[in-house]
Amino acid sequence: MNDRAHRDTIFVEECEILAHEAHPGAQHILRIRAPRIAAHARAGSFAHLQCDPLLPMRRPLSIMRVDAQAGWVDFLYKAVGEGTRLLARRGTGETLSVMGPIGTPFSPDPARPRTLLIGGGVGIPPMLFLAEELKRRGAPWAPFVIMGSEVPFPFQARPSRMLVPGVPEGVIAAMPLLEDWGVPSRLASRQGYPGCFEGYVTDLARAWLEALEPARREEVAVFSCGPHPMLEAAARLAREYDLPCQVSLEEFMACAVGGCAGCAVEIRTDAGPAMKRVCVDGPVFDARQVFGA
Amino acid sequence: MTAEQRSLLALDFCGLALSSPIALLSGCVGFGEEYTRVAGFSNADVGAVCLKGTTLEPRLGNAPHRVYETPAGMLNAIGLQNPGARHVVEKILPTLDFSETRFIANISGSTVEEYEEVARIFDDSPIDAIEINISCPNVKAGGVAFGNDPEMSARVVEVCRRATGKPLITKLSPNQTDIAHNARRCIEAGTDAFAVINTLMGMAIDIESRTPILGNRQGGLSGPAIKPVALLKVHQVHQVCRDHGIPIIGQGGITTAEDALEFIIAGATAIGVGTALFYDPLVCAKINAGIAAYLQRHGMGTVEQLVGTLVTERPATQCTS
Ligand SMILES: Cc1cc2nc3c(=O)[nH]c(=O)nc-3n(C[C@H](O)[C@H](O)[C@H](O)COP(=O)(O)OP(=O)(O)OC[C@H]3O[C@@H](n4cnc5c(N)ncnc54)[C@H](O)[C@@H]3O)c2cc1C
Ligand SMILES: Cc1cc2nc3c(=O)[nH]c(=O)nc-3n(C[C@H](O)[C@H](O)[C@H](O)COP(=O)(O)O)c2cc1C
Ligand code: FES
Repeated sequence: MNDRAHRDTIFVEECEILAHEAHPGAQHILRIRAPRIAAHARAGSFAHLQCDPLLPMRRPLSIMRVDAQAGWVDFLYKAVGEGTRLLARRGTGETLSVMGPIGTPFSPDPARPRTLLIGGGVGIPPMLFLAEELKRRGAPWAPFVIMGSEVPFPFQARPSRMLVPGVPEGVIAAMPLLEDWGVPSRLASRQGYPGCFEGYVTDLARAWLEALEPARREEVAVFSCGPHPMLEAAARLAREYDLPCQVSLEEFMACAVGGCAGCAVEIRTDAGPAMKRVCVDGPVFDARQVFGA
Repeated sequence: MTAEQRSLLALDFCGLALSSPIALLSGCVGFGEEYTRVAGFSNADVGAVCLKGTTLEPRLGNAPHRVYETPAGMLNAIGLQNPGARHVVEKILPTLDFSETRFIANISGSTVEEYEEVARIFDDSPIDAIEINISCPNVKAGGVAFGNDPEMSARVVEVCRRATGKPLITKLSPNQTDIAHNARRCIEAGTDAFAVINTLMGMAIDIESRTPILGNRQGGLSGPAIKPVALLKVHQVHQVCRDHGIPIIGQGGITTAEDALEFIIAGATAIGVGTALFYDPLVCAKINAGIAAYLQRHGMGTVEQLVGTLVTERPATQCTS
């Protein structure tokens, strides 16, 4: 009678910091040992971290990559306030209490294998996770990743070896990791970084969509994570081309397990407005439910 | 924990057999099952689970942001988001595992009549007890507006008493001048127990935009920041309850076994854990173990022996200066 499928899906682990790199723009890449979280995380999952014993609350961060065999988990975060700044001070060898994986992940539809992944700023991590997951699944999945940032990217961009129709000439900067996986990607910024598309991620996405034949376009689904205005633009673009779109949202959190309703956002449903919890009902939502049809 | 340690923790609360003095607090654990997502967490580790505040009709609650970290604590302004009492009784209670713990409803209303109606709906359900929340700081009508007025508090307790034979726990607000007087009136009106305290009212401002951070402008402060206030209120209410044999669920900032022991010594029979779960979802097992170890160390056979044993007469000491 009882549906208790959700039980025991989140693990609390004392995690050793394996690596912690600082990048320009107050960005940091953190690798921890968290075998149980690594084994169960999916693209779109996040974790809830104790940044410092001095703080009363944890902080939510998206999971960027995992290696289930080796048991590590990667995060990319920007130090923006007290919690993330204290986290940035923690060094290799120290331990952090981390809860995860949490949340409803992205759900790509096999009828639409041409996945367009749009990540902005520290919204890049779940897009990288999704790209890796789709690469692992192989054909017919064909992800294309567009990343935008207004501070230097937290990796050394590389000229792409993969031709992508519709991408303007000279826009060749790609993420090396994705190149190695054989997943095409392009970078966008308004800062004039070499090889990057000069403008918004959604303008580059539009150029790519325009170059697709109508039959191919019907195989496209959009996935996005990043600042709210960017998500809204991605949702608008998807609506314009009549494409399904899933977005990952952020909201302040306390428990991150569905207990406090602190992270609730308003969602449109057939039955009218409803408050849904970003932590367990999300963070991934159908864009139409968030921004309207 | 050994079976012997477990037996130290068992107690009677208004006729309810609790396996541990810990109650998970209303609003922190949804409708009872949410924390079971966490591996290693079990409702069987706690004596009782208080469900989210419930009103007659469904409520969407307040606009974001609803929670915000503050020094040694947090503000919340959820606004009693809940699916309505009938939905809770018909759809949620049947999914709860009553073999693991005792479940307590937490009820709220904008009018005295609404409290009565909600109490009646829960009376006709398997719920183990009913907690009357007359201290919610996050709703426009009812809530703390009732809780700060001893006569209104007593009226709410009185109508709920008429509506149910189940144990009634009245949750008192710290945002009032004379909590002991209010407690006295609620005892006369028929409450079986108290929960002390609910959150303290507070606020936070974003200085760049000069706007309140919480969607509701103000919220309730919880966590270690309020512990000393809560402890004093429990002590004050205990003075009133003692002679009537009325138990208290002491709460407000309890994070460790030592915190819990302070509340028990001050007069709490059971202790609540809310905000502490957000930092450490597995904290209850640690608090249980710490309380049991303390009782063994002090040669006590049950946690009930410790309740209200605060020593106020200081032993005579020699003045050396
Ligand atoms: C599901 C999810 C995934 C996220 N993934 C990432 C990520 O991969 N990389 C990254 O850099 N950031 C991510 N964030 C945002 C990150 O949680 C916040 O930047 C961080 O909590 C800020 O904490 P602070 O103490 O440094 O900042 P402060 O501004 O001092 O924070 C004050 C309080 O507000 C809360 N808060 C402030 N901004 C946010 C926000 N945007 N989201 C949630 N809570 C916030 C904090 O948790 C804290 O309680 C994610 C947020 C969510 C909800
Ligand atoms: C997010 C949140 C929601 C709450 N919702 C309710 C509620 O619906 N009804 C209620 O009586 N108390 C509610 N409370 C108050 C708690 O039950 C508890 O009394 C208070 O937080 C103090 O304990 P703590 O410091 O251990 O959290 C809520 C507290 C928090 C933090
Ligand atoms: S953070 Fe508590 S319900 Fe989402």
